[in-house]
Amino acid sequence: MKARIAVAAVGLVLVAVGVRGIVLHVDVSGWAVWFVGAAVLHDGVLVPLVLAAGLLTRRLPGPYRGVVRGALVAAGCVSAIALPLVLGYGRRADVPSRLPLPYGRNLVVVLGAIAAAAVLAATFRLLRERGVGVERAGRGVRLRRRPRPGPEGGVRR
Amino acid sequence: MVRRPALLRIPALPRPPLPGPPAVLQTLPERFTSRLHDERTAAWLGMALGASFLTAFATGLVSHFLQHPPGWAQWPSRPVNLYRVTQGVHVIGGLATVPLLLAKLWTVYPKLLRWPPVRSAVHGGRRLLALVLVGGALFQLVTGVLNISYWYPFPFFFTTAHYWTAYLLVGALLIHVADEWPKVRRTVMTRPEDAVGRRAFLLTVAAASGTVALTTVGEAFSPLARLALLAPRRPGVGPQGLPVNKSAAGAGVAAAAREAGWRLTVTGRVEREVTLSLAQLRALPQRTARLPIACVEGWSAEATWEGVRLRDVLRLAGVADGARVRVESLERGGLYRTSDVAPPHWRDPLTLLALGVNGAPLDLDHGFPCRLIAPNRPGVMQTKWVHRLVVS
Repeated sequence: MKARIAVAAVGLVLVAVGVRGIVLHVDVSGWAVWFVGAAVLHDGVLVPLVLAAGLLTRRLPGPYRGVVRGALVAAGCVSAIALPLVLGYGRRADVPSRLPLPYGRNLVVVLGAIAAAAVLAATFRLLRERGVGVERAGRGVRLRRRPRPGPEGGVRR
Repeated sequence: MVRRPALLRIPALPRPPLPGPPAVLQTLPERFTSRLHDERTAAWLGMALGASFLTAFATGLVSHFLQHPPGWAQWPSRPVNLYRVTQGVHVIGGLATVPLLLAKLWTVYPKLLRWPPVRSAVHGGRRLLALVLVGGALFQLVTGVLNISYWYPFPFFFTTAHYWTAYLLVGALLIHVADEWPKVRRTVMTRPEDAVGRRAFLLTVAAASGTVALTTVGEAFSPLARLALLAPRRPGVGPQGLPVNKSAAGAGVAAAAREAGWRLTVTGRVEREVTLSLAQLRALPQRTARLPIACVEGWSAEATWEGVRLRDVLRLAGVADGARVRVESLERGGLYRTSDVAPPHWRDPLTLLALGVNGAPLDLDHGFPCRLIAPNRPGVMQTKWVHRLVVS
């Protein structure tokens, strides 16, 4: 308990240091717009999009649902991080070694690799499911572990 | 699993005639039926996220205090690649944190929609803390990603805002850890018997983080350079096979650096002022050092530098062992026009005033005629187009 109070106290001090630094050294209104705006856009736009993707993939057959959702998670994260590179606003004519690659094409390559991995995983699952049909009796415990898909989506296996 | 607060399970209670919120608002969290929205998933993701952010904080502080050293700090010049590693971990690790954060926020999202929004003062405090955590974490990752892409759409100076927000975020994180500790301990230490597919979910998140790291880490770890499809830099791409951050034209020194009358002056607290032409510098003992340029933006690339040892030039002028040296560029202004070299660095035999790189005289964009190159030091402090050393 004492350790937790100490950690919380250190946290409070750091919060105070941070707030003081922001007030003294940063344009607070612009900072606040980005700080709160990031949370609002995340909660109000990004997560609803993810939930919609969960609903859209809900009806996929069991073995593939998780694979497709996993691929979408990875593809979404990679795309979000690559977006500023693809847009390329940071390019400068006098510094060609800055953002030197064809990022649009590269993103397509990475997304293609994720899709290929997903197809492989789905094929593997399909084959395994067929195999499981034969040895079902012996693997009952394992089969019971499969979660039930919910209406909101997000259950993966 | 998110449960509706017990309070709300008593609909029959006579209530004042105030119009209550629509029923849909009161039951929103229950509509999230995925069982991954549970404490155990959140705990595992939270621990990974806590480790990531604390690592980023520590490595970020290293980078900050290297560039703004407090009086007591003495940063060593060895190991040669230390800064390269800390800053690579900061940036690549930060990128790999993006999937972790998004997964964690998705897991706890139903809590955002709980009704009533605030139940008590403590609950209100927790929600405010959550706003600071969510806003701060997203702020750090978004500004960081934009910064390494050289895109500055925000109205504040990146380094200052990123630096001070880090204290706010880590402070809130520590309070959150102290608050959630018993819950995390309980849920991680008990073996769940609920058959929820957490492992597959967590492995998916790890795979997403791994994909991000794999497609970017080559900008610092050159054996994987060809895999760095989504990195803002690639080792080997640039004049003389080395990336450039600021060009001579961009720095406004293209003409001055090429002038035949260029001289290197050693001045300040010296026994005798020394002025050297490029030919005189080339006549001094030439050394070779294999050193990386390690940028604050996380990329780094090794090169073979040739030139004279900084300590040889300083000893020509006669300086005290504890002297500090300010290396000045031909640039007229800018944050990085000069850099300070403390004794551990200028006395290091690997620290050169480089005249050439990778077997040829320096390219104009690499700092021709003369640049500083030292081990274990941020790239912005490897001053280019050097023309003065001021000893103090």
